[in-house]
Amino acid sequence: MSASKWAYNLSLFREYLGNYIKTRLTYRADFWVEVLSDLLFSAMNLVFIFVVFGHTPSLAGWSEAEVVFVYGYFMIPFGVFGTFFNLWNFSERYIVKGEMDRVLTRPAHSLVQIMLENVDPASLIGSLVGLAIMGSAWATLGLPFDWYDPLALLAMVIGSVLIYAGLYTALAAISFYSDAPTGIVPLMFNIQNYGRYPIQIYNKGIRFLLTWVLPFAFVGVYPASFFLDRHGDLEMSLLTPAVGVVVFAFGLFVWNRGVKRYRGAGS
Amino acid sequence: MLAIDVSDLRKQFKVQKNREGLKGALKDLFKREHTEVAAVKDISFQIPQGEICGYIGENGAGKSTTIKMLTGILVPTSGKILVNGYVPYKEREEFVRGIGVVFGQRSQLWWDIGVIESFRLLRKVYRVSEADFRARLDELVETLQLQELLNRPVRKLSLGQRMRCELVAALLHQPSILFLDEPTIGLDIVVKTEIREFLKKLNREHGTTILLTTHDLQDIEALCSRVIMLDDGRIIYDGGLDELKDRWGKGREVQFQFNDPVAIADLSRLTEGLEVRWSKENELTAKVWIPRELNVSEVLSRVVGTKDISDIKIFETNTDEIVREIYQSGSAAAPVGSVSP
Amino acid sequence: MTSAYFDLIRIRFLMMLAYRVNYYSGIIIYAINIGAYYFTWKAIYGNAQTLAGFTVDQMTTYVAVSWMARAFYFNNLDREIANDIRDGSVAVQMTRPYNYLLVKMMQGFGEGLFRLTLFMFPGMVVVSLIFPVELPTDPLRWVLFFVMIWFSFLINSQLNILTGLFAFFVENNEGLMRMKRVAVDLLSGVVIPVAFFPFWARTVLEWTPFPAITYLPSSVFTGRMAGAEAWQALLVQAVWFAVLIVPILVMWRASRRRLFVQGG
Repeated sequence: MSASKWAYNLSLFREYLGNYIKTRLTYRADFWVEVLSDLLFSAMNLVFIFVVFGHTPSLAGWSEAEVVFVYGYFMIPFGVFGTFFNLWNFSERYIVKGEMDRVLTRPAHSLVQIMLENVDPASLIGSLVGLAIMGSAWATLGLPFDWYDPLALLAMVIGSVLIYAGLYTALAAISFYSDAPTGIVPLMFNIQNYGRYPIQIYNKGIRFLLTWVLPFAFVGVYPASFFLDRHGDLEMSLLTPAVGVVVFAFGLFVWNRGVKRYRGAGS
Repeated sequence: MLAIDVSDLRKQFKVQKNREGLKGALKDLFKREHTEVAAVKDISFQIPQGEICGYIGENGAGKSTTIKMLTGILVPTSGKILVNGYVPYKEREEFVRGIGVVFGQRSQLWWDIGVIESFRLLRKVYRVSEADFRARLDELVETLQLQELLNRPVRKLSLGQRMRCELVAALLHQPSILFLDEPTIGLDIVVKTEIREFLKKLNREHGTTILLTTHDLQDIEALCSRVIMLDDGRIIYDGGLDELKDRWGKGREVQFQFNDPVAIADLSRLTEGLEVRWSKENELTAKVWIPRELNVSEVLSRVVGTKDISDIKIFETNTDEIVREIYQSGSAAAPVGSVSP
Repeated sequence: MTSAYFDLIRIRFLMMLAYRVNYYSGIIIYAINIGAYYFTWKAIYGNAQTLAGFTVDQMTTYVAVSWMARAFYFNNLDREIANDIRDGSVAVQMTRPYNYLLVKMMQGFGEGLFRLTLFMFPGMVVVSLIFPVELPTDPLRWVLFFVMIWFSFLINSQLNILTGLFAFFVENNEGLMRMKRVAVDLLSGVVIPVAFFPFWARTVLEWTPFPAITYLPSSVFTGRMAGAEAWQALLVQAVWFAVLIVPILVMWRASRRRLFVQGG
């Protein structure tokens, strides 16, 4: 994408965001219910962690605080992802109800338009909470703080967001091929959970799956372990941004193919 | 210059065959069967710039599929399309900047916030400069009388108000071609008339080419100098509205209001030798059907001279009836044969 | 009339069959879920033989059977009802000569039957081949289990109907529906058996319908609850089913009133 295209998309983002805020101001109660349900979802996973550690002091050599740390990290990219890739009802709204046609009569990339039409900054609150959880676990664990840690965190988060974005874009694009109304997105929601636990607990097959097939390990345990010296797996941590770029490119490819199919160009 | 140039355009869809019953459904789970269905079958037409053209046909005739190909949404299976000098499906993002599209049943406006916000957003999407946007918006708001509506959320607008806003949304970037898919569907007669007037004005003042699909033949009569009629994916008529009437209108009917009671036999005697049919409405009123080949004046002169008449009305066969007739006979080619538009 | 309701079940069953991408992806995802939880629990057990009264093998069986039961009782009735309300089609439905909520129930049941036969049975076979799952030998336990997951379906659907009907009273109940889904997964015992919760939490949970959805049937299936305890579990389910009818009727009444007053 050229620089002018970036600037164009960015200015569109500002405009859509403005409209989002205006919409939200009309339904203020909904905004808070949404934030609350987001947080409750995270709380459920934390409850799981706490309950489990009520029965065991360590999980495959990981302490409670370490697992909580990973979870806190995970919440950051997840919130950012939720803000921009709110594609849950893509199939219903754009394919079944036919709004895709309108999108295709506008002069901007279809994915950009759909991302922006559904932008959902409420999710960002989850990122903030995650940052706080990670921060407090950081203190509990007494981890050292290096000058490059914030930069590393930024790179990791961007990588993780791209992984989410790529996978879910590809998933949403399945709607172009299948007529399924509910789609498989809600089911997929479960799998991503497993990247948040120490990957060592799984057998080889699942480990392989979470690393190279549906690389959800790169949105949780791998990048987070960069900061956890004891479990440091530098190679895998540093791979996060690269995996992000690859997965996102893949997602975009599937999307573009899907749009092509939707428009009936070969198949 | 041609605004739209289409030749041998074809679109086929793969349609899933759903086998019947539980057994069939179970089979479908593992192996699907498909059939190819052609929605548009090798059609050709040209529309010059500045024309208003009606695109009519029954549901499933292929209207929407054609519009979707012309607007770059769908890629044709075969054939050529050139719209505004672009191949729509190739440089989609560049191409759509020069066209406006309104789908009557789907909104392009933000549901929960003021209409003006949607317009501002579209300004950005189409990269219209602030000055152009202002000027254009003022003009459109003025002609469509939207002043009070601009700050109202779309969900609080009536259908007619919304449709007027949809038109503005599609025209903010000054497109040279406007595609309208059922623009007057569900609207009341007053709004319909307003929208027709607006479209005529747009065409007159800006030279905007308009292609509209509609079920309402009043739209066609009010707006279109030309109609393309589609049936089962093929063009069955392409030409002027007047020619259509000339060719298909089977004749005229004249209604006489007499001052004294009359008898059919009496009237028939008057027009002896002419291929006309009389029918009586009531004691004082009678109608005569005159085939197209015959001159109306010939019949009139014979009646007017002998009877005391208070009123005469002449009925032209209306488009509605013509179209119904064409569809019933299945092809527009049948009675016309040699004549081509 | 009854035959019309049966037809609804049949139609939904066929509808589910039509979406094969959903079917295949569903199988894969349930398998992965069971696998992942199996390994998580194995790691949690470490060297311990029993935790909260569950042996490792019981836990494995519990995880497998809970996910399989979830496949049966899970449905999106809340979302469907909320959509009907939002786009106004609920008003049309109410003019038809049937009970709207019953229709929804039947559709959910058709969906459940589909998953039970084409999902849960083959899934269970595969799972018991891969993981050390202990299937009960006592036929009575099987019968009891199937009666119990029928109640799971009823109770879960009742909760879905309640959440869905909220769309009548708030502009957007999306958040509420998500909260409900999370709560059911966590508190019903799919993710963690209720026995693992701390004592105070267990006491609170006993006063909610959630454990009746997964924890009770799965406990009976794994043999954690047997004899009188098992029958008592069934009774608890039946009581919850009866109790939940009350708020549904109240809400349904209020909804209809709202519909007639506001015109949808």
